[in-house]
Amino acid sequence: MKIGVYFCKCGTNISDRIDPQKVMEEITKLKDVAYFETVDFLCAEEGKEFLEKDLKKKKPMRVVIGACSPRDHEKTFMNVLSKAAINPYLMQMVNIREHVAWVISDICKASDKASAYLKGAVARVQLHEPLKPEELNVCPDVLVIGAGPAGLKASLSLTEAGRKVVLVEKNPVIGGMPVRYEEIFPNMECGPCMLEPMLGDVLHGDNSENIELLTLSEVVEVAGYLGNFIVKIKQLPRYVNPEKCIGCRECIEPCPVSAKNEFNCSLDERKAISFAFSGGLPNFPFIDDEVCLRTKGENCRLCEDACIVDDAINFDDKKKVIERNVGAIIVAVGAELYDCSNLTNLGYGKLPNIYTSLEFERIIASNGPTEGEIQGFGKNGPRSIAIIHCAGSLDKNHIKYCSGTCCQSAFKFNQFISKKLPNTKIFHFFKEISVPGKETFQLYNKALNNPDSLFIRYRNINEIDVSIENGRLAIHYSFSSGKRCKSTADMIILCPPIIPSSDTAELGSILEIPADRYGFFEELHNRVDSVQSKLKGVYLTGSCQSPMDIQNAMNQGLAASGYILSGLPEGKKLEIEPIIASVDEERCSGCRVCILVCPYKAIDFDEEKAKATTNSVLCQGCGTCVAACPAGVIKGNHFTAEELLAEIQGVLT
Amino acid sequence: MNTKRKENKFEPKILGFLCNWCSYAAADKAGTMQKPYPANVHFIRIMCSGRVDPQFVLKAYEEGADGVIILACHPGDCHYKEGNLKAVGRYNMLVRLLKQFGIEEERCRFDYVSASEGGKFVSVITDMVDTVKELGPLCLNGK
Repeated sequence: MKIGVYFCKCGTNISDRIDPQKVMEEITKLKDVAYFETVDFLCAEEGKEFLEKDLKKKKPMRVVIGACSPRDHEKTFMNVLSKAAINPYLMQMVNIREHVAWVISDICKASDKASAYLKGAVARVQLHEPLKPEELNVCPDVLVIGAGPAGLKASLSLTEAGRKVVLVEKNPVIGGMPVRYEEIFPNMECGPCMLEPMLGDVLHGDNSENIELLTLSEVVEVAGYLGNFIVKIKQLPRYVNPEKCIGCRECIEPCPVSAKNEFNCSLDERKAISFAFSGGLPNFPFIDDEVCLRTKGENCRLCEDACIVDDAINFDDKKKVIERNVGAIIVAVGAELYDCSNLTNLGYGKLPNIYTSLEFERIIASNGPTEGEIQGFGKNGPRSIAIIHCAGSLDKNHIKYCSGTCCQSAFKFNQFISKKLPNTKIFHFFKEISVPGKETFQLYNKALNNPDSLFIRYRNINEIDVSIENGRLAIHYSFSSGKRCKSTADMIILCPPIIPSSDTAELGSILEIPADRYGFFEELHNRVDSVQSKLKGVYLTGSCQSPMDIQNAMNQGLAASGYILSGLPEGKKLEIEPIIASVDEERCSGCRVCILVCPYKAIDFDEEKAKATTNSVLCQGCGTCVAACPAGVIKGNHFTAEELLAEIQGVLT
Repeated sequence: MNTKRKENKFEPKILGFLCNWCSYAAADKAGTMQKPYPANVHFIRIMCSGRVDPQFVLKAYEEGADGVIILACHPGDCHYKEGNLKAVGRYNMLVRLLKQFGIEEERCRFDYVSASEGGKFVSVITDMVDTVKELGPLCLNGK
């Protein structure tokens, strides 16, 4: 076999510490080495030109390059090999700079070590095989799960670029949580006003024909991988035909049954046919199976009778399972608030007038259960309202982290209350204050400068005891000194942390993406790649990845869309790195050890043949399965057992 | 005294397995920091420490290595999620086997080095070389 060896002097970086002559004498003794070239700077333009010409002229069958770290220039030289019409994987690079010249002062020892490394490379490179990236046809369409800020932003960005999106939302309405907020921090903008243009674009904008919106829907099954996912979506019947319904609300009033309205935190009731909350989009109602008399066997048709158009109500609507093919998946399912009834000492759920921040959002929302009025306290409202920050956050007994958004909600409430109820005193009970960013401090400052707002730093949430005294809420707490104190309020707003929503775990198992230690979906890297999940082609956006505000959720939606537009290009084939593992089916005994160790679920078991098979798209080429296979029948491209054993032998002898 | 001086002259051959993302990068880092360390350890680059097949370690001893060192990413830092944990599991099994062959535990070492720990890399390698020097040459099958 004709092997060409190139020795880069790296100026004098290498040749001052390693004697090229001595190395050449050693290496040219090897029977397969056809020639040994010494070059000043192989990575410089002249060096690369020389290498390309020399390779074209000498036509070696394999190439060994002694130079810097392959982490620096392996790709550079692989590209030169390709230009010289030699398969780039027929090269082995030897790190004689960082691993030899720069760390060994004795020139004899350094030269010997460089020779040993080159011998290992010469032994190994003979076994190298020409490898080619596999090319795959991909589906450019995208599944977006969750129609809150992150999912909406991603959907709009993707469709603007001409992609088709299947947007799945489990609720009958879209917009996520913020459409239910009267005002949004930090600028006290109206929530629905801020989001409705986006909702409008999704429902009937320029590119809305490329968004297939499926409400009352959930993803139930996912198979496949980046470029080719097959998704099954279960859609509950709405019983209202969106093509016909004009959203006039005539059907609501006659409905004889009602139930707690979970879209208003169960603070009021809705009919069996309802709009979730007023202004909810898309603007047509849904019938709740569990409440409607028809599902209980009665032949009630009052809503249909009241309907002013024909066939808008369809009692024959059925549950459907819809199958779609997509190339990538964006997860944007949002989060929940920590259950405040876990903080038993705070009286939530037991004593009156204690609300969570979300419940208070709905109380003050003009489309909420009381149309924005704080009721029950007369014209002037409550004499005082206590806002308890960190209700469960930064606490080892509850939630360890800080959500970073609750303080901002609390100061938003402060602003709202002081404007609407100028005679009401506001107590901020806090453990820590968190107002990051360039704008959020403003609401904090307003609260600080408000003479009717009082700040009280408590030591531990577990030391706060809420009870009823003389018809008002008495709050006993401890200062950091341990001194006990009491305040009295008429209403308490608890600001609990954001936690993963209850269906995160189930969706995670359907998508086969892991959760982190807090139950949020785990990102590929928490700083560099927070939008990629650990599974190729599945992206994480919004508060299902980590607690975050609307701004960050929108940014993540855009980021995921950017990843898909650049990484899953329409009309092009997907190139798969050839350094991956493959199973020799003939010799596979079907023991499944490889399936257990694969961190990417890239190995499937073919039940019919009783053999394991690797998926070249999902495989990342770590080689863990290769080492684990007891029969030694999994081949790890470019790091085969034969290649590595030859290198070990070459280096040591 | 004499025997000790003799032992110190012994220059062991040691084989090291470095994963591409952490420990190989740490060796690069030691290089760019120009931190010298003994020339005795020859490194093999693999993509992940999880690729280290116990037969590679046995092959190294067979080919005359007096020691083997496997360096992985710190737990939780593995580029491939958990290959390093697979590697340490296999290492623990292997060491029990090596003891049965009469190969001292200290001749096979496993440690974690991150890409930024050039200093730690040098001290781990230096310590390994000193340890194997102390143990003397590995004699297998009377060789």
